[in-house]
Amino acid sequence: MKSSLSVRNIVIAGVLGAVAILLGVTRLGYIPVPTAAGNATIMHIPAIIGGIMQGPVVGAIVGVIFGVSSFLNATVPLFKDPLVAILPRLFIGVAAWLVYVGIRRKSEYLAIGTAAFLGTLTNTVLVLTMAVVRGYMGAEVAWTVAITSGIPEAIVGTIVTLAVVLAWKQIGKGKKSKISEDL
Amino acid sequence: MASEFELSRNITIGQHVPTGSFIHRLDPRIKLLVFTILVIAIALNTSYVGNALGLLLSIYLFWASKIPVSYGLSGIKPAIPFIIILAVLQLIFQGNVFSGGKVFFEYGFILITSESIRLVIVSAVRFVEIILLSSVLTLSTSTTELTHSIQSLLSPLKKIKFPVHELSLIITIAIRFVPTFAIEMEKMMKAQASRGADFGSGEWWRIIQRTKDMLPIIIPLFNIALSRAEDLILAMESRCYTPGNDRSSYSVYRAIGRDYLVLIIGLLFSALLLFYRFPY
Repeated sequence: MKSSLSVRNIVIAGVLGAVAILLGVTRLGYIPVPTAAGNATIMHIPAIIGGIMQGPVVGAIVGVIFGVSSFLNATVPLFKDPLVAILPRLFIGVAAWLVYVGIRRKSEYLAIGTAAFLGTLTNTVLVLTMAVVRGYMGAEVAWTVAITSGIPEAIVGTIVTLAVVLAWKQIGKGKKSKISEDL
Repeated sequence: MASEFELSRNITIGQHVPTGSFIHRLDPRIKLLVFTILVIAIALNTSYVGNALGLLLSIYLFWASKIPVSYGLSGIKPAIPFIIILAVLQLIFQGNVFSGGKVFFEYGFILITSESIRLVIVSAVRFVEIILLSSVLTLSTSTTELTHSIQSLLSPLKKIKFPVHELSLIITIAIRFVPTFAIEMEKMMKAQASRGADFGSGEWWRIIQRTKDMLPIIIPLFNIALSRAEDLILAMESRCYTPGNDRSSYSVYRAIGRDYLVLIIGLLFSALLLFYRFPY
């Protein structure tokens, strides 16, 4: 039986998951924006990078790792609810991958940037929708959060993703393993 | 100042408090399964009585696991201000959204109803329940046990070609690399600080400044992570690691009578929370 995941997929998903957990436990992944949701976050960026670099499956797995770690570390009731903390995070990497693949033909830079921006918005929109559906905040509060923390998140996310993915494409040129694409 | 850089000290992931209690000796697969079902049941229950029962159960489990109370409280303590602020906000603004029930107070846009009070109390209690339950699980089970049990619980999914073994390997790699990256990040922060960079000392309202300060740490962190990934890929491929092959494992779990008993009690309790209509 041939598995759908290669060694490269497995390792990169694991490593990006580690970065997501680390940003969470050291609180470095939080941008202190005073809103009802507590903080803006940059911990979704590994999921976006995973989606862009290795496709939707890796993106979704990194998203789940991020979701579970944010669920376990949460200090606000909102994120102690698995339906808000874990479920929406599945789609971050998938959305980023779809956007990236769609635009890649036209311009690599534009594709990465847009994928990061829309990937972040996926996170913001889905989490806030779940929060409203589950009754943690009203629609007006959700809009305020979307604007005060969603937009900074999207901007920071775009900058970091562009920097990391472009740098990785440079690293990737001197890739050590010559066979991993063939397996 | 230097203490700000000691990242590895704050990392409690994989922390394990062996007290040899009844809960520690349970089959980790059963523990994880019951925990997952209980958390879902608690998250979906909105009644006072149901959440009071859940709270009693989580306090009992915490007590039964003989874990020092300070571990459980350390999770709740920093959250208290958030809980209070959020509760007040919810109380003030939620009345219009959850307008069912009796109206207690109305002034301008502020509307406090019995439904919005229920929402505030239930979400605070739910939060405490889940903190207690998740600390019982993570403090009484080692990460190796956890990943093994994820793998064996998901193994039926192999039939539909879901990559179960790969998933548990990914989780193992992620947990394994967290302390390594923490050390790398400490090094980078110290290197940047010795060049005069400034972290976290800016005022909290200067959001843009503080975010910019983080970029020279976060971008190299990703690059280090990815170049380590290249090393690991090379190492695994040169040892002929093939994803998707069947593997045997060193430790085999065997569930005995008391594990099944716990499973049945957990399932019954969750079913009670999920399906019984509590009067309050």
